[in-house]
Amino acid sequence: MSEQTFNPPLPQKTVLQTAAQKAVPYLAAVIVSFLVAGVFIAAMGFDVLKAYETIFFTSFRSLNGFVQTLLKLIPLMLHAYAFTVPLTAGKYNIGAEGQFLAGAIGATAVGIVFASLPPLVLLPLVLLGGILAGAFWGLIPGWLLYRFSINEILTTTLFNFVSFNLVDFIATKVWADTAAGHPTTIAIGEGGWLPLLVNRPPLHAGILLALALAAAVYVYTNRTVAGYDLVATGANPRAAKVYGINVRRMFILSLVLAGAIAGLSGAIEVAGVQHRLIEGMQSNFLVLGLIIGLLAKGNNLAVPFVAFFIAILEVGASAMQRTLMIPVQMIFIVEALVLVFVLMSDVIGRRRR
Amino acid sequence: MSESLTIINFLKLILLTMVPFVLAGQGTMLGGRTGVFNVAQEGIMLVGASVGFLASWLSGSLFVGMLAAMAAGGLFGLALAYFTTSLKMNQFVIGLALFFIGLGLSTLLPKLVIGVTLTPPLIPTLQDVPIPLLSKIPILGAIFFSQNWLVYASVGLSVLLYYLLYKTSLGLALRAVGENSAAADSLGISVPRMRYAASIIGGMLIGLAGAYLPMVYTGTFTENMVKGRGWLAIALTFFGGWSPHTIFYGSLFFAGVEVLAYRVQVIGSIIPYQFLLMLPYLATILVMVFTFRKSRVPAFLGQNYDREKRVL
Repeated sequence: MSEQTFNPPLPQKTVLQTAAQKAVPYLAAVIVSFLVAGVFIAAMGFDVLKAYETIFFTSFRSLNGFVQTLLKLIPLMLHAYAFTVPLTAGKYNIGAEGQFLAGAIGATAVGIVFASLPPLVLLPLVLLGGILAGAFWGLIPGWLLYRFSINEILTTTLFNFVSFNLVDFIATKVWADTAAGHPTTIAIGEGGWLPLLVNRPPLHAGILLALALAAAVYVYTNRTVAGYDLVATGANPRAAKVYGINVRRMFILSLVLAGAIAGLSGAIEVAGVQHRLIEGMQSNFLVLGLIIGLLAKGNNLAVPFVAFFIAILEVGASAMQRTLMIPVQMIFIVEALVLVFVLMSDVIGRRRR
Repeated sequence: MSESLTIINFLKLILLTMVPFVLAGQGTMLGGRTGVFNVAQEGIMLVGASVGFLASWLSGSLFVGMLAAMAAGGLFGLALAYFTTSLKMNQFVIGLALFFIGLGLSTLLPKLVIGVTLTPPLIPTLQDVPIPLLSKIPILGAIFFSQNWLVYASVGLSVLLYYLLYKTSLGLALRAVGENSAAADSLGISVPRMRYAASIIGGMLIGLAGAYLPMVYTGTFTENMVKGRGWLAIALTFFGGWSPHTIFYGSLFFAGVEVLAYRVQVIGSIIPYQFLLMLPYLATILVMVFTFRKSRVPAFLGQNYDREKRVL
């Protein structure tokens, strides 16, 4: 496949100025999606208003709801960055799931092997283990792209499936917790646990790491020369090449960065939430991250806000399933519909111009 | 299944396992040959599996289930064609969005239709249809002529598509759209009609590929049961150079690896089974290392055609 097959969106610099103007199609898309979904929810005999009230307000009605939303926000935001950062260089990373699991494996391995170390040493090591393992999982498709020009979309996706089996192997054969009844490893040393910011309900310090990462991504892509090389590569690979940027090396770098970000997410999930490796811990973060990244149109600055919105919906949807028995998958389809309508609003915009 | 892995059994299983790859691969190829690059296979196959299973369960007929799965897949193909050919939206992005919708629908539908149960209902699996006389041939009969009818159908489909693409003027027109839409347009070939038709029929085949999984392998629908076969189908089309006959051979290879991965663990091996299960994905990547560069790709693959634009 030629490198010009897909056109990644250009990074936009004047987001804040036109934010209000840009919010209109998003609002319209959200409203239309919820109207469409509402028809189905009503047709199935559920109370639509009650369902929507639960979806939108669960996050704000109690401290617990808000903390749940923040906890959901961390992996969603990081998975979205694992998609948008390589997209800045014009590469599609569909492998955040595998990189997340690789990171979780790395963090767990470090946390188990060096379990007796004090927190001051072990916690950074656990996080670093996750970041490096994730970066390695991103390096493989990056190298295959660099060396053999194999399309990264396919390789990143296929490595997700490899990682599932690797997790299963480690959780059943290497450090299995035989009492768990589900493929799970034994716990990492307590020194590797992320400290809590709020004790009840528990909110771990991962949210600070995620926000720091958001700031770092912004500074890197918008305020540094190295980041500008990445942006230039995505905007016009040929021009960037003529200018003297090693475009193919940028492609690798972007996928390694993506892997490191997703790996960090895996490490945070291990160090902050589970304290061990559990099969299936990747949940549906990959797809939600992709939806967030696409909704943000690849704009790194917009990612935290879109991710927060999706986190609200996800927390609300779980509550809706508990109280109203409406399957949680309903909200997933709403999110996909929002994406389709947001994309369609571009077409309308294009035609009006 | 506790069969011993004899050579005959192994070859028979390869043909049995080849079907989803053939159907999904040919479906992808058909759309791609007109320039519509479908990347929603995984989602469409999941919907096909889910709808095919539910319709079979409700109607008591596997055939109805297959038709329903094809209809569902066709709808996804129609949506893809509408968003890309009519609205000219980015094919990859809209393909991903359709993948998400398929993923969500596939798990939502069983919950709505069956409800939440601990033991999901089972449908009878597709029976083998031995072909009279031919199935009596020693060895060959057991391998080739005692299969379920979708095995025969997928072979027939591959032959038919080969004939259609390379021996008919319709096939020439179809290929022309994918190679150079502007030139095809100037010859009076309707680019949108060709793309719509190929995308819809392609979607139907991919949906049927999904329905094969509950109907032949498991008898029920389970979450994420497609296990990356949709993505492998994309790799397969590149590997198969976007031609029906090479995609068919590629399917045999993919099926062979899958049979090795899933059946060797049954007879036991020193390698942990998790590493065997990685084989299909790793083998695919390895094959791409050798074939990806050389793969012949339709020139307009993934590109929308707007006749009102002069520069493409």
